[in-house]
Amino acid sequence: MADILQTLILGLALGGVFALMGSGLSLVFGVMRIVNLAHPVMIIAGAYVAYWGFKLYGIDPLVMLPVAIVILAVIGILLYKLVFEREARSAKYSEMTVLLTFAVAMIVEGALGGLFTNTQRVTSPAYATDAIFIGDVFIPTGQLYAGILSLVIIAGLALFLKYSRFGYAIRATTQNREAAELLGVNVSMVALVSFAIGIGLAGAAGSLVSFVFSFFPAKHWEWIAVLMSLVVLGGMGSLLGTVVASFLLSVIAAFVGTYIGATWSTMTFFLALFLILLVRPQGLFGEKPELA
Amino acid sequence: MMSIAFQDTSNVLQARAEHNAKLALRADRKRVTWFPVVVLGLLLALPALQFVGNYNYVLHLILFTACYATMASGWNILGGFTGYISLGHNVFFCIGGYFAGMILARYGVSTLVTAPLAGLICAAVGYLIGRITLKTRGPSFIISSLALVMIARILFDNWHFVGGANGVALPANDLSVVWAKLPYYYAFVVLAAAAVFVSYKIKHSKFGLGLRAISKDEIKAESAGIDTRTYKTLAFAISAAFVGMAGAIWGEYLTYIRPNIFLVILVSVNMVLMCILGGKGTVAGPVIGAILIVAFNEIFVATLGSSELNILASGLIMALALMFFPLGVIGTLAAKHRLPRILNWD
Repeated sequence: MADILQTLILGLALGGVFALMGSGLSLVFGVMRIVNLAHPVMIIAGAYVAYWGFKLYGIDPLVMLPVAIVILAVIGILLYKLVFEREARSAKYSEMTVLLTFAVAMIVEGALGGLFTNTQRVTSPAYATDAIFIGDVFIPTGQLYAGILSLVIIAGLALFLKYSRFGYAIRATTQNREAAELLGVNVSMVALVSFAIGIGLAGAAGSLVSFVFSFFPAKHWEWIAVLMSLVVLGGMGSLLGTVVASFLLSVIAAFVGTYIGATWSTMTFFLALFLILLVRPQGLFGEKPELA
Repeated sequence: MMSIAFQDTSNVLQARAEHNAKLALRADRKRVTWFPVVVLGLLLALPALQFVGNYNYVLHLILFTACYATMASGWNILGGFTGYISLGHNVFFCIGGYFAGMILARYGVSTLVTAPLAGLICAAVGYLIGRITLKTRGPSFIISSLALVMIARILFDNWHFVGGANGVALPANDLSVVWAKLPYYYAFVVLAAAAVFVSYKIKHSKFGLGLRAISKDEIKAESAGIDTRTYKTLAFAISAAFVGMAGAIWGEYLTYIRPNIFLVILVSVNMVLMCILGGKGTVAGPVIGAILIVAFNEIFVATLGSSELNILASGLIMALALMFFPLGVIGTLAAKHRLPRILNWD
């Protein structure tokens, strides 16, 4: 019984972090219809921001989080201006952008690898290795903090989308780009800002990830499929869907890891992605099969 | 009335058939068939250089190019003709390599003999996988192909029968250093020629026409009576077969099979990149792309010598090619009516 509870807690703790990792991806797809394969490598870049802040100046990764958001958001704006703005009217837009983001992922991975080498890194603030014991079960504090903070950030994003005027414009663009444009929404501005927010969220996720997982530039290939499974299961573009899917899959993965074997735990995400794409490509909360 | 209408139709159809035959004849007369044949002849005669010195490096480069030309041409059948971009074709490179490699390691049968069999196995696996993943389209097909690589990587890393992540060492052949590369050289040159020939044949068949229709608009193709599902699954199987055969021989050439030789992202990226750079959906494109990328890699690795920078450079080339050069060398030249006739293999 304690085993089951323990596995459940570990799964839930990671679920929050996964939700934040996937939310930026979901937002960018919702507004711009870009399947951003470069999102995971941006998370790694954010993790490096936190890592160097911690390593060089001893700054806590949680303090570095806003810095990582700003740096990554600026990178996002540059990327949008340089690459995606001119592709907006391309005929095979969705396929083109997948391949382009794939190329961007390679560029960033190569740059990070060239600058910082491919050794495994992790930031180690005191709480990262600590745990809270409740009876027989323990909660790792690092994952707990990361999970809670992730949910706070996602809640902030949801409130921004729901109640601010700009969030309203973003949601309108997600629902129907042409209609939003007709009603006077500056669609390209919305796209730029939500792309920057999306990549900024990758930065936030990165600084949390930096003390939850060990990372190195080439690790993002694994995360591409993991994050895709979350976002596709949740329904591309649905924030709530991404959160639900993250908790669901990360709990399943935790159980697979405990009872079948740690190597098979990531397999859960890959198989899930495969199955969802085939059985229900619109995901849990998606309305129509956008991706198919 | 009816009979007259029918008579008219048959006349029109006959006239059209005659017109088409005339066009085809004209195209055939303009086609420079001798050029690829001469290139192939030169490549087959080239190892004679070994009598006067040691040109193993030259042979290696051509062998490597031919290996990638085979794979890129194979990829092109699915990615270029049919329009389904797969980033996971190195899975078949891996399956082919492991199938033939394990037979070599256990029973000592050379992969040169088992390569066609490896091709068949990969075609069968490709057919089954294609049956499932080709239900998706566009971006989700690309994502599912990436997931396939991840699944294959975990399976091969943990499959103890084939040595897990450490892989299996294969016996080297007992030829002298000067001649050791020759069997693989000839195998790859013949494979590349076969891949180009099959691409050409497919492009000029009803099957190829159906594939191109699918890449333009699948729903219209379906409603025009094309069995799209069978067509694209067959295209998947054929392209998997070529990649698998290349993998089979590549394993013996390296005398080692290991997941991180086959299942690295750079292998599948190279296939895609060669086709985009050379010209997606053309017969000569993948070959031109293979020559360009192998030459570029050779210069790049020789001067900078780092795999990280190699990834960076591949990404840069891919992004720039997609943004400014989407038709590739052959496609761009053809669009400007500047394509030299010796490169028009379509």
